[in-house]
Amino acid sequence: MQHFDYHSAGFPIRPDIAETYRNYWQQLAGPGTWWTGPERVAIAQEVRNALTCSCCAERKQALSPYTFAGEHEHSGVLPERVVDAVHRIVTDQTRITQAYINDNADKGLSKAAYVELVGIVVTVFSIDEFNRALELPQEPLPEPLDGNPTQYTPAHVSDDMGFVPTVAVDGTVGEEADLWPAGFAANVIRALSLVPNALREWRDVASTQYLSFARMQNYGQEDDRAISRMQMELVAGRVSAVNECFY
Amino acid sequence: MLRVSAKTNETEIDIQGIGGDVDSASQGIPFGSELMQFAEALASRDADALLQSRQALLDVAGSAVLVDAAGVAANFQRMVRIADSIGIPYDAASSEMGQEVSEALNLTAFASAENTFAQSG
Repeated sequence: MQHFDYHSAGFPIRPDIAETYRNYWQQLAGPGTWWTGPERVAIAQEVRNALTCSCCAERKQALSPYTFAGEHEHSGVLPERVVDAVHRIVTDQTRITQAYINDNADKGLSKAAYVELVGIVVTVFSIDEFNRALELPQEPLPEPLDGNPTQYTPAHVSDDMGFVPTVAVDGTVGEEADLWPAGFAANVIRALSLVPNALREWRDVASTQYLSFARMQNYGQEDDRAISRMQMELVAGRVSAVNECFY
Repeated sequence: MLRVSAKTNETEIDIQGIGGDVDSASQGIPFGSELMQFAEALASRDADALLQSRQALLDVAGSAVLVDAAGVAANFQRMVRIADSIGIPYDAASSEMGQEVSEALNLTAFASAENTFAQSG
């Protein structure tokens, strides 16, 4: 089947959007760095399950999410610890802590596997959110592909910020040379770089939904966008504020 | 980034639009109030508000603006989750503009502010 066929959307949708989403769906289906294709697609399914999970809804209201006991509503494919991480990133991300990440790592969800999981969760979520914003149905998830994860680890990582190691500001050499242009090592760009493909995957989607790293330097009007940079930043700022994101 | 883009374009804006004030959102920004309300409705998962704000934006600005606004809103639904799930500190927290915006919007009240201030000592 042809994924992301927006011809019946009721209004024109830029063709590069559908193309970028289709490319991501292909990447999602295949083996990643620490997860297999079936596991990656199962993680994507949990993104959707989280939105109707009554445990997540109740925990969101709890004073502390770490003292709340409950069972997630999930597909039964992934371990409970992995399900919890996915649901937490979707529904209660502002209360994720270093202690939570460390505890997961001690109990089998390594920091690198967590980073790839974050990449899948947020990228699938953003594509689903685009469709929801336009009152379009969720896209069926891709059929997973066979194959083994690469277990690739970048050469130059640093522990200088955040809950997990990241590629160092000056570590974009060799296989990582393409990750960001010189001078673009903002913390949010480095965040998922422990798994370089996780960064590459969201970067491609971001370039279509918002702007590429290079185009972020232009604070005026892009020829292929219907809204100016000020309009974009108003939307971005309001979304961030409602999510209570300090960053 | 809104402040920077407004400054670059020599446009007077009111940062309280980001805080949800409709009149402020429209200051200096075409379709500002409609864009702000559309973004707010999506992020807050208010289905009725999303329906109404989507139609309002479509009516005043057209489908191309609606689609691009949906893309940007969806993008930042992702970016906030990257930032918070990895606990990254805000790069410009100590800059004059960063502090000014933080104070104006009371951003330090957010739980995720801890990721910036705990790591900066």
